[in-house]
Amino acid sequence: MALNDNDVQKQIKHMMAFIEQEANEKAEEIDAKSEEEFNIEKGHLVQTQRLKIMDYYEKKEKQIEQQKKIQLSTLRNQARLKVLAARDDLISELLEEAKMRLSRMVVDLKVYQELLDKLVLQALLRLLEPVMIVRCRPQDSLLVDAAVQKAIPDYVMVSQKQVEIKIDQETFLPASSLGGVEVYSNNQKIKVSNTLESRLEFLSEQKMPEIRRCLFGANPNRKFFV
Amino acid sequence: MSGILHFPDCTGTTDSARRTMASQCQGIQPLLQADRRAKDKLEDAKKRKVKRLKQAKEEAMAETDQYKMQRDEQFRLKQSKIMGSQGDLASEIEEQTQGNIQELNRSYNQCMESVMKQLLSAVCDMKPEVHVNYRLKATS
Repeated sequence: MALNDNDVQKQIKHMMAFIEQEANEKAEEIDAKSEEEFNIEKGHLVQTQRLKIMDYYEKKEKQIEQQKKIQLSTLRNQARLKVLAARDDLISELLEEAKMRLSRMVVDLKVYQELLDKLVLQALLRLLEPVMIVRCRPQDSLLVDAAVQKAIPDYVMVSQKQVEIKIDQETFLPASSLGGVEVYSNNQKIKVSNTLESRLEFLSEQKMPEIRRCLFGANPNRKFFV
Repeated sequence: MSGILHFPDCTGTTDSARRTMASQCQGIQPLLQADRRAKDKLEDAKKRKVKRLKQAKEEAMAETDQYKMQRDEQFRLKQSKIMGSQGDLASEIEEQTQGNIQELNRSYNQCMESVMKQLLSAVCDMKPEVHVNYRLKATS
């Protein structure tokens, strides 16, 4: 059945309203969804970026802390080394002074002769060779000669061995050295060094812990020291 | 052209049938216009959506930049605080070191003589004797 004009108009108007309503609803839907997506997207972006920034700065802060610790440790280390160096310097001073005093002592010939007597005999008794060569400073030749003469009978008595002792005329100890003697086996392959320098060196090294303790006090770090 | 246009009374009609009907009815014009307007509305909504998403990125960036500045400021403060105290520590340690060294010198000056005496006597006083294990040859 055909519709008359009025009905058509009414239908058309209905449809138009319907179309408009549908469009509005769909547009609202789109807007609502876009708002939702906006929030999600923004929230997500902000969160991830924030985390990244936080991590970055946390790491940087840790780095600085570490740097500080390293610097502090370096400073402390340097300080410790300075103190140890100062100690070392004082020990060197001590040894230099010892050498100085020894050199003054040997100027007194009576004292030096007595000393040489003992040094020579001790060196001979250490070496215990049938033929021995005694070396000394050029300026000590006479004194050493006397010392050797005195030593021979004592040596023979103690060791019960005959011995031949030569005084080296070709090679001497440096004239600037402090004094004392070196004694060699005949083929010069074995040496006993009884010079004042070598005695000082040997004894100071042996006594170094004691020397340090006397000069600087006991080490507080050694808790179980017997 | 079939978009939103539903013909509730013509559920069974085909496309071509509809078009024929449409072109035949002049009163359809307002409907077509309405359809176009509806489409435009949707287009606008979609455009708004795109814009909104772009805004999301922009706003997110602005917020994070602000946060970054904040954090940066925090960090700078911390940094200057930590590095500043370094100088004080250094001078404190230096003072301590100097004190220790002075103490060493004092102690040395006090004890040097007695140590020297001991050392020199060790160098010069000796008893020449033969080794403990030395065996005298048996006399035949």
